[in-house]
Amino acid sequence: MLALAVIASSASGRQDDAPPSAWDPAPGGANAGAPGGPGLALRAAKILTCELGGPGWIDRGVLLVRDGKIERVGPEGEVEVPADYVRLDVGERWLAPGMVDLHCHIAGTFDINDMVYQTNPELRVKSSVIPSNPSFQRALAGGVTTVLYIPGSGTNSGGQGVLVKTAGETWEECLVRDPGSLKIAQWGNPERWGPGVGKTFEAYALRDMFTKGRIYAQAWKDFEEGRGEEPELLIEYEIFRKMYHEDVPASVHTQIYQVVALTITMLKGEFGLNVFTDHSEVGSWPAAKAAVEYGVPTIVGPRSIDAPSRGFMTWAQVREEGFIGLARKWREGGQTLVGFNTDSPVVPQEELFVQSTMAVKFGMANEHLEAVRGLTIIPALVVGIDDRVGSLEVGKEADVLVTGGDPSDPRSAVDMVLVGGRRVYDVSEEQRRF
Amino acid sequence: MQAARIAGGALGAVLLAAACGSPGWRVARADSRRAPRAIAPLAPGESGVALTGARILTMDGEDRILERATLVVRGGVIEALGGDLELPQGFPARDCGGLWLFPGMVDLHTHIHAGPGFGDINDMALPLNQDLRASAALVPANANVRRACAAGVTTLFGIPGSGTSTSGFGVVYKSKTSGGYGDVVVRDPGGMKVAQTHNPERRAGDFGATRAGLGWLLTDLNERTLAQMEAGAVELGYQNLARVHAGELPVLIHCAASDGVANAARMWKGRYDTNCVVSHGCFDAWKIAPYVRELGVPMNAGPRTIDFVTTREGRYVGIADVYQDQELPLLSLNTDSPVVPEEELFLQGAMSARFGADAYPLLRSLTTNPAQSFDLGERVGSLEPGKDADLAAFSGDPLDPRSRVEFVLIDGELQYDRARDGQWF
Repeated sequence: MLALAVIASSASGRQDDAPPSAWDPAPGGANAGAPGGPGLALRAAKILTCELGGPGWIDRGVLLVRDGKIERVGPEGEVEVPADYVRLDVGERWLAPGMVDLHCHIAGTFDINDMVYQTNPELRVKSSVIPSNPSFQRALAGGVTTVLYIPGSGTNSGGQGVLVKTAGETWEECLVRDPGSLKIAQWGNPERWGPGVGKTFEAYALRDMFTKGRIYAQAWKDFEEGRGEEPELLIEYEIFRKMYHEDVPASVHTQIYQVVALTITMLKGEFGLNVFTDHSEVGSWPAAKAAVEYGVPTIVGPRSIDAPSRGFMTWAQVREEGFIGLARKWREGGQTLVGFNTDSPVVPQEELFVQSTMAVKFGMANEHLEAVRGLTIIPALVVGIDDRVGSLEVGKEADVLVTGGDPSDPRSAVDMVLVGGRRVYDVSEEQRRF
Repeated sequence: MQAARIAGGALGAVLLAAACGSPGWRVARADSRRAPRAIAPLAPGESGVALTGARILTMDGEDRILERATLVVRGGVIEALGGDLELPQGFPARDCGGLWLFPGMVDLHTHIHAGPGFGDINDMALPLNQDLRASAALVPANANVRRACAAGVTTLFGIPGSGTSTSGFGVVYKSKTSGGYGDVVVRDPGGMKVAQTHNPERRAGDFGATRAGLGWLLTDLNERTLAQMEAGAVELGYQNLARVHAGELPVLIHCAASDGVANAARMWKGRYDTNCVVSHGCFDAWKIAPYVRELGVPMNAGPRTIDFVTTREGRYVGIADVYQDQELPLLSLNTDSPVVPEEELFLQGAMSARFGADAYPLLRSLTTNPAQSFDLGERVGSLEPGKDADLAAFSGDPLDPRSRVEFVLIDGELQYDRARDGQWF
């Protein structure tokens, strides 16, 4: 608790011999906010609540955490702090939700791409997760608390991804949802799997897989509803029961206009799947109209821009002289659900927030917290865990960042991180990791 | 150490009022000390422009920030600026609509004068090459320089590499997006480049592989030059170095860690009292900051902005944070481009702020401080009457990576216009 005391006193500018105030942390509060511990009250200059549909921030706010969940949040005068709560004043710092990255490859060992067949929907990347690995520890210092850990893009389907938190000592502590998604690579890598494979065959391979998957899922549904015989169990197709009937999404490596358009019209239009486009780069932003029409969200990265370099211009169909901000173009095309990814380690996991910085630099409007929302509530919503993380709202898991200012501003560093109410990173107690 | 910041974008409007009132940000709303004076109309044949409605970070000696202000350029030079200027007659006006006008940034440690890549900048012919000039390799308006311009970096000291103890003389030039040698060069030779330690070791055979040998090489060179000066007969290859000793040209010294920085400061200021700037100052150099301050040597820090290698203290050390705390004179930041891309000079400031340095003084470290420490302060580094009209119009705080450069003037001429050219960076 020494660390909390230091932060509280330095932030408020008081001397050590000043009389204790109600906002001094109580002794023995190291586990305050964590499951089983006493309650925790955080007071901050600004709280980025980041809820969709609201203003998204509170000035001079108080956030109550108990048993790992957010209990109350509101302006200081409106939140009554129970007497037994540990009180932590973070001074001029801000609070923000932990960030969510939907395209991560650094949750464990890097053997995440068994390229056995052209499509490998049966493979599960969960078998390579290493909780609290060094990359995760840096990710926390960059404010990333939840990731969708997915297989590579060497085949049209690399297998099943898993949603995990970047803090936690065991698999059970890390796990958010399994399966998190089925990883699809529409085009732009799986060609390597075999000679002569191109866009048309890859589209066929995916259509073939999803058609067989739909038949399999329907057969089981019919059986369970008393309309048929028990089908043969095929574990390679089990994922499709969850996709067609439990809303598990397809996370799709897809880029350039015609391929992104195909992702949208095939996976959502033809198969009715829950799908979002990953990458969404390299001249693909003209597909914004189709994305809006079909209701397919856009996760942009690791590239933030279409660049006017030779060769790339042809590939991306870039016609303008300068750099084109991708998030800007998707948003201007009408897409409201634009989030950011790193494709870590392509962009280091801890630099997720820089993706939003660059989006603003290259023209994305940021009048309504679009940058921070693209790091938090939007990816949470897109992957279907917005009831648990992505914003600082009552009832959600207390994944909270204490930052020097706006998290989309690289000049603001993350000073403390709570995950599920547990204090997992605190620069006053240990080395600043990033 | 967390200085108040002006945030662009989302909460800019909300934060602006609070940030402007914070320490370090002095806002001059109406400059009553200087009575507005009449500005002569723009005569036929004269070039000029009036930029109106801007927030002007003057970076002048009083740290004035002018709100809703006008800046008038005539003939490539700033004629007047203020919040209460009447629009002079005949000048084409450009409404800045709240953009932030910031002096064109100055980088004293750059290697992009010859174009993309590291080519042609380090003839390692002999251990001492004090007679070479980088300007021979200068390619004005090359692709890297054009991008630098689009990011608001307008004055560069283009220098040879650090492969030998001295690699010759660099050239001070501007990052115009078109033009030739005569259009861009500010001073040639612009100053000397010395590599005290941390690279020239590689060049040496059996001599100069150690600090002792490298020190002797440079001392011997300086003593020979001084002897020639005293005798009144300076040989051709020593004439520029003689100008350094006469105080006519500055010297920039590559010296990476604490031992090199200490050796450089001791030799070039303590022993020879030249107009010198120590460059890099990375790794553990922050530990000898008090010694550098004592000798009064300006520090040009970068490209590393943090030290986590040498501290053994289990923490990151923000290099500029320490140098600010130790009150080093005229602290400036560099990119060592292309080590850090030239267009990311501002990011050296942003990352220094992230690791603890105060924001406003960092703006000085990108503008007036490098200019003043290298005898360029009369022309560039701040927005004041009589200075070159080199400026960048930012959409927000220049230190905020989310801000965009909307247009850039050098010598009063529009070099880059985002609306016209597309966004180059």
